[in-house]
Amino acid sequence: MRFLIIAVAFVVPTIFVVLAGKDPLGSWAALLGYTLGSWNGFSEVLVAAIPLTLIGLGLSIAFRAGIFNIGADGQLIAGAVLAAALAPLLAPAGPLPFLLAGFVGGALLGALVGWLRARFAANEIIVTIMLNYVAFQLLAWVIRGPLQEPTRLFPRSSVIPENLHLAVLIADTRVHSGLVWAALAAVALWIVFSRTAFGYRLEVVGASRGAAVYAGIKEARVVVGAMPLSGGFAGLAGAVEVAGIHQRLEDGFAEGFGLIGIAVALMARLNPLAVPFAALLFAVFQVGSGALQRELAVPYPIVWIFAGTIVLAVLALQCRLSSSRA
Amino acid sequence: MSFVILAGLIAAAVRLAMSIALAAIGETVAQRSGVLNVGIEGIMLVGAFLGAYGAAMSGSPWAGLALAIAGGVALAALHGYFSITLRADQVVSGIALILLGLGLSSFLFRITLGREQTPIPAFQAVLFGQSAPVYIGIGLAIAVAFVLKRTALGLQIRACGENPDAAAAAGVRVGAVRYGCVLFGGAMAGFAGAYLSLAQVGAFVENMVVGRGFIAIACVVFGRWHPVKALAVALCFGLAEAAQIRLQSFYPQVPYQFFVMLPYLIAVVALAIYARNADLPRALGRA
Repeated sequence: MRFLIIAVAFVVPTIFVVLAGKDPLGSWAALLGYTLGSWNGFSEVLVAAIPLTLIGLGLSIAFRAGIFNIGADGQLIAGAVLAAALAPLLAPAGPLPFLLAGFVGGALLGALVGWLRARFAANEIIVTIMLNYVAFQLLAWVIRGPLQEPTRLFPRSSVIPENLHLAVLIADTRVHSGLVWAALAAVALWIVFSRTAFGYRLEVVGASRGAAVYAGIKEARVVVGAMPLSGGFAGLAGAVEVAGIHQRLEDGFAEGFGLIGIAVALMARLNPLAVPFAALLFAVFQVGSGALQRELAVPYPIVWIFAGTIVLAVLALQCRLSSSRA
Repeated sequence: MSFVILAGLIAAAVRLAMSIALAAIGETVAQRSGVLNVGIEGIMLVGAFLGAYGAAMSGSPWAGLALAIAGGVALAALHGYFSITLRADQVVSGIALILLGLGLSSFLFRITLGREQTPIPAFQAVLFGQSAPVYIGIGLAIAVAFVLKRTALGLQIRACGENPDAAAAAGVRVGAVRYGCVLFGGAMAGFAGAYLSLAQVGAFVENMVVGRGFIAIACVVFGRWHPVKALAVALCFGLAEAAQIRLQSFYPQVPYQFFVMLPYLIAVVALAIYARNADLPRALGRA
């Protein structure tokens, strides 16, 4: 049964490749050949896995507490915009304060969601999605308004000061030091989840509201604590993308990362040590979909079909597991 | 003069509200039976594409609408299978629908309508400047309200959402009722998508739903799980949308992005005000 579910997850996207009139085996060969079979492609997988890891880690914090934060896209933009706005001030201090500013930007937006949910019981799914659209407009405005480059030719900000750029880790690739930060963040979060009282409270609130009340854990306080942390990681991802890859704000610079981040967190079963590996898997499909578009003209949106099918496959596998245990 | 402006504003509000309203009516029924579908955004995207595709291929917007409804039912069946049969997490299943809907609609568009320019026959205005689907939507809201409140079926649906164990003990086939409600919700979301591409815009554009599926869920909450009230709330969003488009031209010195934000911000504020209430189906989201 488990094998069947995994097989279905591979077959469904393949059907759409065939519908598009493309060679299915050739497509898989192109996807895997580029992402895993070429150094160039694999380095891009590493690059794509960095923000997905950070977002996936952040979402696993909220999901553990039973809060469905769908707003990583907005929190990522909030972090990137705040960091980019402060870039001239932070330039002498180096990349670390720049990344911290990104964390704070995402955390502020996350805190707003946590407060709305704890104080007014506002459904966080709708609130976070609505704030995503607000953030998209905010980004569109700042790169055409206050943060636009002085020449005002394109809707984008100036390049951030050189001093803030993240170091390239591997020569001749785009792999930057964000990779190290993402790995460290995964370990740090694992320690928080498994070794601290806060991690324990998250788990209890997420597992059973009733048990949390009985154990004297204040749900509102946990929610208010989890959401800024969750948003902060997404904001950090935004700052890392700016400092490591784009060096400026531009339209759609990290489009859809938040949605794929949800799939990453779910696939990793909210385990921080598994998140980087899930991120690598989705990065293979993300970068591979780009290769399919370039080499075989398979439309890029197939990446969302991959992501959707994998989420359903993981969900089906979990159901099988829990029913066989019972 | 001001009457003409007002009449124009209201007509625009109705036109902009209907896609949200149609989806909200369907989601109201699904939630009343106890199943939350956060993926209607994805179903609406697929409905918008299938509506445009079916209309372009057949030459009739009605055929497009039928195809969109069929697609909506198919995606909803997937959600039903996971949330009702497998008793999986309904929110996660809904998130998968968002991803799939985004992928399916954009992918299929690029291999069909996006490749060659096919004219799309849209719905034309029939009465007071509004197209036929607007009146069908208003009729459906009233009909659904009647069924929920006054019929045995409505009682069964509400029982499944409030206390499924008691309903089952009373002989209600909870699973079947819930499947029916989820499929109805999917059909309405497909309808809503087709309305968007065939009546409101007259074309399919990738990711054209831009959050309307989620605003529809917000309407269900503000409308306190009542279809006619959900329709009324959707009209308020339509009014906000129509007003922000006009405000953009009145205040060119204010960046237009702030006006575009407006309906989304209103949804957040309204949600904060109206979230706590006793009308929430007690078994919502629990399989």
